This record gives sequence, structure tokens and C-alpha cells, in this order.
Amino acid sequence: MKVTVDRTLCDGNGVCMGIAPDVFDVDDDLNLHIVDEIPDDPVIRAQVRQSITSCPVLALSLEE
Amino acid sequence: MVVTTSQTVVVAGGSLAGHTVVAELARRGFAGDVVWVRGPEGTAPYSRPALSKELIQGKVTSDDIRLPGLEAHGLRLRVVDHAVCARLDPDDDRVLVTPAPGAAGEPSDGDWIPFDALFVCTGTRARLPEAFAGLPNVHCLRTLADAERIRERLSGRPRTVVVGAGLVGSEMAASLRSCGLPVELVVQGRLPMDAVFGEDLGRFCLERHHAHGVTTRLLTTVTGLSASEPDGPVVLTFDDGEQTSADLVVLGLGAVTACEWLRGSGLDVSDGLGCDEALRTARPNVFAAGDVANWRHPVFGHRMRVEHWSNASAQARHAVESWWAGLEGREPPPFAEVPYFWSDQYGLKYQMVGHARGHDEVSVERTGADGYPFVTYFREGRVVAAAGVNAPRAVMRMKARIQSEATTIQGAYAG
Ligand SMILES: Cc1cc2nc3c(=O)[nH]c(=O)nc-3n(C[C@H](O)[C@H](O)[C@H](O)COP(=O)(O)OP(=O)(O)OC[C@H]3O[C@@H](n4cnc5c(N)ncnc54)[C@H](O)[C@@H]3O)c2cc1C
Ligand code: SF4
Repeated sequence: MKVTVDRTLCDGNGVCMGIAPDVFDVDDDLNLHIVDEIPDDPVIRAQVRQSITSCPVLALSLEE
Repeated sequence: MVVTTSQTVVVAGGSLAGHTVVAELARRGFAGDVVWVRGPEGTAPYSRPALSKELIQGKVTSDDIRLPGLEAHGLRLRVVDHAVCARLDPDDDRVLVTPAPGAAGEPSDGDWIPFDALFVCTGTRARLPEAFAGLPNVHCLRTLADAERIRERLSGRPRTVVVGAGLVGSEMAASLRSCGLPVELVVQGRLPMDAVFGEDLGRFCLERHHAHGVTTRLLTTVTGLSASEPDGPVVLTFDDGEQTSADLVVLGLGAVTACEWLRGSGLDVSDGLGCDEALRTARPNVFAAGDVANWRHPVFGHRMRVEHWSNASAQARHAVESWWAGLEGREPPPFAEVPYFWSDQYGLKYQMVGHARGHDEVSVERTGADGYPFVTYFREGRVVAAAGVNAPRAVMRMKARIQSEATTIQGAYAG
């Protein structure tokens, strides 16, 4: 499972970070960081899927 | 194993909450029928936050903000556009679906659609006092059509007055100013956004408006709008008797819940649609999610309605889970997400977690190289909310703390 972000769209609003804080991190310059390895934990993976569908600017996508 | 093939689910509302309910049903492999009544707008679902941000500034188009299509998900889905749920039968599990006012086609009395479960996601609409309606240069901002109408006017560089300085009003003033327009902001209270943020961030927000050349009128209410020619400049009259003129007026007067259609259904619609902690209404197979839902928050211990993006998608998923749990004979869990929202103004990101209502104390720190205010809100010594500017990590860190600390005041605010 790999998540990619379209940086031209992401505005750093942090919605994904609110849902899956172990995977997404927005720094104070509003740049999004995504962990390289998404932990193999069903709860975290469900959070990641929710983040993707909850991003208000549709910047996230999933490669299974 | 839940047997759902012969069941019909009606989803009322074609925006984020309704969209997420349908997506969640698809994710769970729901095998029955879904009737999705998407409301009067007649547009495919889209993301509203961009309306007052990137879209109004011309940085994105309507195509960029469409929510993903759900047709290909293997659901037995019937989409009903340009139509509204007009009534819920008080005695039977069925809703009356009628064409929206102004819809094309034959006038019709509508159809009664029976359901096994109903998800009410009809949200809110912009508050528009009747006396302010009908002038072509006066606009609310709730829908894509509103935003496109405003956008069409901008090329003439209109002198703009924004009335109301809540989230939408303050953000619109900033976006229109960023487009280079002359903007005046009419603030009913002492400071912009003070109802959400309180004194310190409200003052910061006011200073940002002034630094960018927006003029403000504080503690002022608009009492009248008029125009001598229908499409001409609008004269605004204020409660102190003063007047000003504008080519374009944007009203940010808050929102009203769209649940008048549920009157007479036996449900509580005194402030949105009342439900229990698990988002169930008084009828066991009717659920609410999004801006319309009024529920008792188990962490804060009181009822609330939250008009923010993350809440609508999280509640939609939860409402489906509550229904599903019932089918499986499980007790549905309470919806306990701590509210969160953001707002973009002049390139700065305001963010807040928690619910500051009833706070009795704040602490203010300065964050980052620019020393932006970071405010923590307390009630009876416990953290209930936090807000900052360009400080996403600090804001999000407070989420867990609010979740754990606020819990201990449960009961004290029951009701
Ligand atoms: C300009 C603007 C900017 C915003 N910016 C932010 C932001 O920066 N951050 C943030 O967190 N939130 C923001 N929000 C709030 C966020 O967009 C809402 O919380 C979210 O749209 C709520 O979704 P909803 O589906 O509950 O309701 P709504 O979006 O209100 O949708 C309700 C839907 O129901 C339909 N409907 C109404 N009546 C009926 C009926 N009788 N039958 C069938 N359908 C019906 C409507 O047509 C609509 O499709 C903003 C909102 C606006 C308007
Ligand atoms: S939710 Fe979307 S826009 Fe917001 S920070 Fe995450 S990827 Fe960026």
C-alpha cells in the first residue's frame, strides 16, 4: 500500500493528519509529509483509506 | 452475516455527507437498493470549502472540485437529481420525493419511496433574510452556482462589501481582496470570527484584514439593502443610520438547517435533526449526518451541531456503522470525533480543534518565527479546544489531549 499526494493540489489543511496522524504530517510551512512505509495495521490502513476520500481537494491517491 | 439484498436505503442530500454515506455503503458491499436524492442544486457533488478559497480566486475550476463518481462501485444505485425529499410519513417508513422548484420536466406530485433505512444529510443553506433577497448584485455563498455568479462579476473590479465576518464572510473578504478588489467588511460583533475564535485570534484576524487594505465596520448591523436600478449599485443602510454603496454585496450571515421537510414526521427538528450519541433519531431506522445533525457529544457532554467538512464525512461513515451494527444485533458506538476545521485567509492557515463553547479561560502563546497567536481554550480547568495560525502540528497534537481531558467533564453538562 502506497499513498501519493499531488502537491499542486494539497493546501496543507491537515484533514488527513487529523484522521491518520501516524501516516500524515503537515509541517508549519504547510508541506505534507507521508511516511515511507505504511504500517501493516488494519486500523491505520482503514484510516489511510478514509483520509484519501476525505481530502477536501482530492489530492491523495492510493497504490495498492 | 447481514442479509441486505431486499433492503432499500434512501439517502437525502447530495453533498459531502450524502456522498460519503453512499461510498460507505459501497465499501461495505451493501447488496440492496440505494436511492440517492441529491437535492435542488442539480450538480454532481463537489467540495464546498474551495468555493470561498481557490475557486473564487480563479485558481481551480468547478471540474477540479467534483467529488469522485460512485456509479462504478457495483451498488444498485439510483441517483435522483433536481429533486428533494419533501416529507417523511409519520406512520410509515416512506419519503415523498418531489421535483425541486424550477426543475425541468412535467410538474409532478412526486413519489412515495419506501425505505428500510433513511440517512438525512440535507445540511444547511445560507441564511438570507427576505428583505435582502431579489437584488442581482447581492449574493450569498453556499453553492457552486453562487460562487460562479459572484466570480462572473469580478472582472469589472466591483467595490465589494462583505456583510458578516464568520468563517465564510471573513474568508470571502480575504479572497476578494487577494483578487485585488476594494473590500469593506461589516462585522456585527467586536471582531471578525470572534464567535468561533474569541478575542485573541479575532484581533489577529482583524489586523490581517487591515494590513491587506480591507476596511472594516465593527459592531455594525445592516438594516436595509436597496438599489435604484435593479442591476445598479446597492445602497447598504446600517443600524447607526449611515449608508454606503457597493457594486457587489456578499452576505455571510450564517446558515440555517435544511430540515423543514421533516416537520410533522415525529422527529425533533428544533435545531437541526436531533439524534442520540450514535446518530440515530427517535425513529430507529432514520439517521442523520453532517451539518444537519444535532447530537450529544460524548466527550463534551452536551448537544452540538458542527458545520465543518471533516465532521460531515466522519459522521456519514458513523451513521452507516450505527445502522449496520443494529442489523448485526450489536450496540452502535457513540460518535466521539473531536471537531476540526481550517480557514485560509491571505495565505495563512487558521486551524481549530475541539469545541470552545462555554470556555471560561484561555492561554495564548506565540508560535513560529512570526509569533502568530496559538490559543488554548479551557473550561473548568480542562482543555476543550485549541486554535492557531500556520501551526498544524501544534493544533493536531491538542486533539488527543482534548479527547482525554474533556471526557472528565462528562455529566456536568448533560442534556
Ligand atoms: C463557502 C464555504 C466554505 C467552507 N469552508 C470550509 C472550510 O474551510 N473548512 C471546513 O471544515 N468546512 C468548510 N465549509 C463547511 C463544509 O463545506 C460543510 O460542513 C459541508 O459541506 C457539510 O456537508 P453536508 O453534506 O452535511 O451538507 P451540505 O453541504 O449543506 O449539503 C446538503 C445537501 O443536501 C441537499 N438538500 C437540501 N435539502 C434537501 C432535501 N429536502 N432533499 C434532498 N436534498 C436536499 C442540498 O442541495 C445539498 O446537496 C465551508 C462551507 C461553505 C459554504
Ligand atoms: S487532506 Fe488533502 S489537502 Fe489536506 S493536508 Fe491532507 S493531502 Fe493535503
